[in-house]
Amino acid sequence: MKKRIISISIYVLPLPLILASLFIGPSQSATPEAIFRAIFYDTGNVSLIHSVLLDVRLPRILLTFLVGGSLAISGCSFQAIFRNPLTDSYILGLSSGAAFGAALALAYSFLPVQLSAFLFGLLAVGLSYYMARKNKNVSIVSLILAGIIVSGIFTALLTIVQFFSDPFRLQSIVHWTMGNLHNASWEKLESSVIPITAGVFILFIFRWRLNVLALGDDEARTVGINPERDQLIVLIAATLASSSAVAAAGIIGLYGLIVPHIVRMLNGPDNRQSIPLNFLFGGAFLLIIDDISRTIAGFELPIGVFTMLIGAPFFIFLMKKTNIGWNS
Amino acid sequence: MEQLSKAISVTGLSFAYSGPVILKDVDIEIESGKLTFILGQNGSGKSTFLKILAGLLHFQKGSIKISGKETTKLSFSERSRMTGFLNQSHKAVFPFSVGDVVLTGRAGFINYIPKKIDIEAAGQAMEKAGILHLKNRNYAELSGGEQQLVMIARLLAQNPKILLLDEPTTHLDFTNQSHLIKLLKNLVQEGLTIIAVIHDPNLAFLFGDDFLFVKDKKVIRSDESSTAWDIDFLKTIYHGNIQSIPYNGRALLVPS
Amino acid sequence: MPCFQSCRHSEDRSDKPATYIEVIDFRGREINLDKPATRIICLIESALSGIYMLKAGDNVIGVPSEIYNGPTAEQYALLDDRIRDKKLPSPGNWDFVSIENIVALQPDLVIIWASQTESIASIESHGIPVYAVFLKSFTDIYKEIKDFGLLTGTSQRADSLIKYTEDEIIKLESAPQSSVVKKSSVYFIWPQGLLETAGTTSTVNDLIELAGAKNCCPIPQEHAVINKENLLDWNPDIIVMWFNALQNPDDIIASTDLKYLNAVRNMQVYELPSAFLCDMWTLKFAYTTKLLAKWCYPSAYADLNTDEEKRKMLFELYGEKGGNLLK
Repeated sequence: MKKRIISISIYVLPLPLILASLFIGPSQSATPEAIFRAIFYDTGNVSLIHSVLLDVRLPRILLTFLVGGSLAISGCSFQAIFRNPLTDSYILGLSSGAAFGAALALAYSFLPVQLSAFLFGLLAVGLSYYMARKNKNVSIVSLILAGIIVSGIFTALLTIVQFFSDPFRLQSIVHWTMGNLHNASWEKLESSVIPITAGVFILFIFRWRLNVLALGDDEARTVGINPERDQLIVLIAATLASSSAVAAAGIIGLYGLIVPHIVRMLNGPDNRQSIPLNFLFGGAFLLIIDDISRTIAGFELPIGVFTMLIGAPFFIFLMKKTNIGWNS
Repeated sequence: MEQLSKAISVTGLSFAYSGPVILKDVDIEIESGKLTFILGQNGSGKSTFLKILAGLLHFQKGSIKISGKETTKLSFSERSRMTGFLNQSHKAVFPFSVGDVVLTGRAGFINYIPKKIDIEAAGQAMEKAGILHLKNRNYAELSGGEQQLVMIARLLAQNPKILLLDEPTTHLDFTNQSHLIKLLKNLVQEGLTIIAVIHDPNLAFLFGDDFLFVKDKKVIRSDESSTAWDIDFLKTIYHGNIQSIPYNGRALLVPS
Repeated sequence: MPCFQSCRHSEDRSDKPATYIEVIDFRGREINLDKPATRIICLIESALSGIYMLKAGDNVIGVPSEIYNGPTAEQYALLDDRIRDKKLPSPGNWDFVSIENIVALQPDLVIIWASQTESIASIESHGIPVYAVFLKSFTDIYKEIKDFGLLTGTSQRADSLIKYTEDEIIKLESAPQSSVVKKSSVYFIWPQGLLETAGTTSTVNDLIELAGAKNCCPIPQEHAVINKENLLDWNPDIIVMWFNALQNPDDIIASTDLKYLNAVRNMQVYELPSAFLCDMWTLKFAYTTKLLAKWCYPSAYADLNTDEEKRKMLFELYGEKGGNLLK
C-alpha cells in the first residue's frame, strides 16, 4: 500500500513540479508576483517576463527533466544488464569518451560539441564491448574491466587535449566535465530530445526483459532469451540516452548510480515499474535539485555539486532506513 | 515412432573448454517419460554434459537431437519449450521477489511484457512447487534450499518437455529432499522427461528409472548383462572401497 | 645556495657594483636577486609580452606552451626568431609544469601564475626564485611591468612604457564623454560560453569603467558564471565578446532567447578583434579601452581612428618589431 502511494505520487509529481519550477529563478524582475500580474493583468514588464519564462526557464526545466530522467533510466538499465548494482555510465567509459569528444570539439572546432560528445561516448562503449567480446561471449567481468580501461584511455587523451589547447577554451572543458544546466536553450533541447526519447522508448519496451537479463546469462538463455542480443540492444539504447544527456549537460557525477537505487528502495527491484519510475523520478529529482540551486545561489555552480550535496545525503538516509536486502 | 520415445539422442559428441578434452565421441540416447540420473565422480564432466544438453555450451563436434530435432537449428524460444535447465546454484544480485523470479520462466512465451495468463501460470508453478507462501519474499534472502525450489518453480512456469537439473538436491535438507524427489516423480508421471545430475547414488537408485555414468570422457550405461547397481560395475565407476546392501530389489551403497 | 657561483661570476665580469634587486610579488613574497635576471622562464603569456615590451626578450629561456599553439602564436613568432624556429623550450603553461625541465634549464627567475601554488613550492625548493602573478586591475599591470623592469634591469624602459599608457588613458578620459547623460551598460563574454563573464574585480571591469561605461555584472569575481535570467534582468546596452573562435556577434544577435536584450535589438554586439592586441593583462589594454569607448559612445569618439591607434601602440610598446606585428 505504501509502495503504491509512493509510485502513484512519482507519476503525478512531475507536472505540478514543472509548473512550480517556472516561478523559481534568480531574476529580480520575474518574481512570482510579477509573473501573476503579467499573466492576469498584463501589467509590468511583460516582455521581460515572457522572455524569462519561455526563453530561459522553460527550456532549462525541460532539459533538466530529460537529462535527469535519461541518466537514471540508463543507469538502471546498465545495472540490470551487467548485473552489477555499482555500474553507471562511467564504468563503461561512456562519460570519459563523451568528455574527450567535447574537449576535442572545443579545442579544434571540427564538429559541434554535442555531436562529438555523443559520437565519442558511443565509440567508448563500442570499444569496451568489442574488447570484452571473446568467443562470441561477453562476460560481465571482462566488460567492466574493458570499460575501466577504455575510460582510462579517454581520460589520458582528454589530458593531452587539455595540455595542447589554449586556456580560454580549456576552462569550458572543466565546466563541461562537472555538469552544467545553465546553458540550456531551446536549441540544446531540440538537439537532445530525439536521441533521448528514442533511447528511453526502447528501454521502456525492454523493461521486463531487464528482469530476465538481470538473473544471469544462463538463466536467460534457458528460458528462451538471447542474452547477448538483448544486452546489446539495451546497451545501445541506454548509451544513446545517457550520452545525449551528457552532451547537453556535461557529466553529472553518480546521478545514474544513485537514482536507480533510490527507486529500488522506494518501490522494489521489478524493472517493469522501475524503468518508468526511474525516468520520472530521475527527472523530477534533478529538477528539484536544480530549483534549489537556482534559489540559493546568485551565480551558477555546476549542477554536479548539488546532485552530490543534496542527492547523496538523501541516498544515505534511505539506505539507513530501508532494508533493501543487499546484505546477502 | 521409434524416434519419438527418444527424448535426446547424442552422436559423436566431443567437447573441450579451451584446454583438454572433457567429452570425446559420446554416443548416448535418453528415453522420454523417465527420471534419468547422471552419476559419476567429481570432475568427470557430469555438469558439463548437462549444460551441453541445455544448450549453454557450444560443442565442437557431433550432434544432439532433442525430440528428433537438431539442436543447432532451434531458435532460442523453440528451445526453451523443449528443455529447461536448473543450475547447481544461482546467486541473485538484485532483491527480486520470488514471484518476479518465477515469472521470468515465462520469457519464451512473452513478447515484451507478461500478460495475465503468464502471471497465472507462474502462480500455478509456485503452488506446484509448494512455495506459494514465499511469493512476496526477497529471493536473495531465502535459504539455499528455498532458492532451489524457487528455481524449480521457475522451470515449471517455463513448462518444457524435458527438465535438465544440475544437482537439484544438494542444498536441500532431508525433508525438502524427499519433497523434491516426490515432486519429480509426479512430474514424470504427468509425462515430463527429467534428466538430473546427482551426487548421491543411493537417492538415484531409490528413485530413478534410468542411470547414466560419466567416465573417461564418455557417457555410458551399465551393459545389458548387469544392473546399474551391480557392485562390480560400480567399482569401475567409483574407485575405492564400496559395498552394496540389497534393498527393495535394488541396492544401497556404503563405504566398506 | 645556487647563486653563489653566479654572484662571484658577475663580480669578476662587471665593473659596476653588484646591483642588489628586491621586489615583492603578488603573493607578498620578497624576491631578491644579486643582479638582473638573464635566464628567465616565463610561464604566463601576458607577462611574456611585458618582457618583450621591456626589450628583455633575449633573456627569456623558457616560454609557456600556448605560445606555440595558442591564438597568439603567430604574433610571438614575429617577435622572436627563436619562437618562430621553435627553439625556445616550453616547460609548462598555466596548468601543467615540468619541474625537471625547469630545473634543467637553470633559470635565475621563474614567472608563473600565483594560483599554481604546488608548482611554485617545488620550484622554490630547488632554490630558484619565483615571481608569482595575480592580476585583477590595471594598477596590478603597472606594478607587474615595474617589477619586471627592476628584475631585468630595464627600469627606465618600464617607466616610459607606464608613462605612455597613463598618458593615453588620460587623453581618453578627457574626451567629451561627459556630455553623455546615461552610462552605457556593458556585458562582457569570455570565450568559454555566453554566460561566462567578468565580475567587478577584474581587469575587464577596469577597462569598461575607463571607457566611461558600466559593467552590468555586479558579482565581485574575476570570472563569474551567471544565469541567463540575470542577463535578461541587467539588459545591457552593449555586449562585448573577447576574441572567440567558436562564435561571432551574429550568432548572439540571431539567438532567439536573447532577443529581449537592448544590445541584441539594437545590434550592439562586438567582438574584440585579436587575442594578442586585446590582451587585457598587459599594457595593451589602452587600445582595447579605446575600441570599447568608441563602441559605447560613437559620436563622442567620432575622431578616434582605431587603426591609427593600433599602429601607434604597437610601435610604442614593441619598438621597431611592432611594425612586423601590424602585418
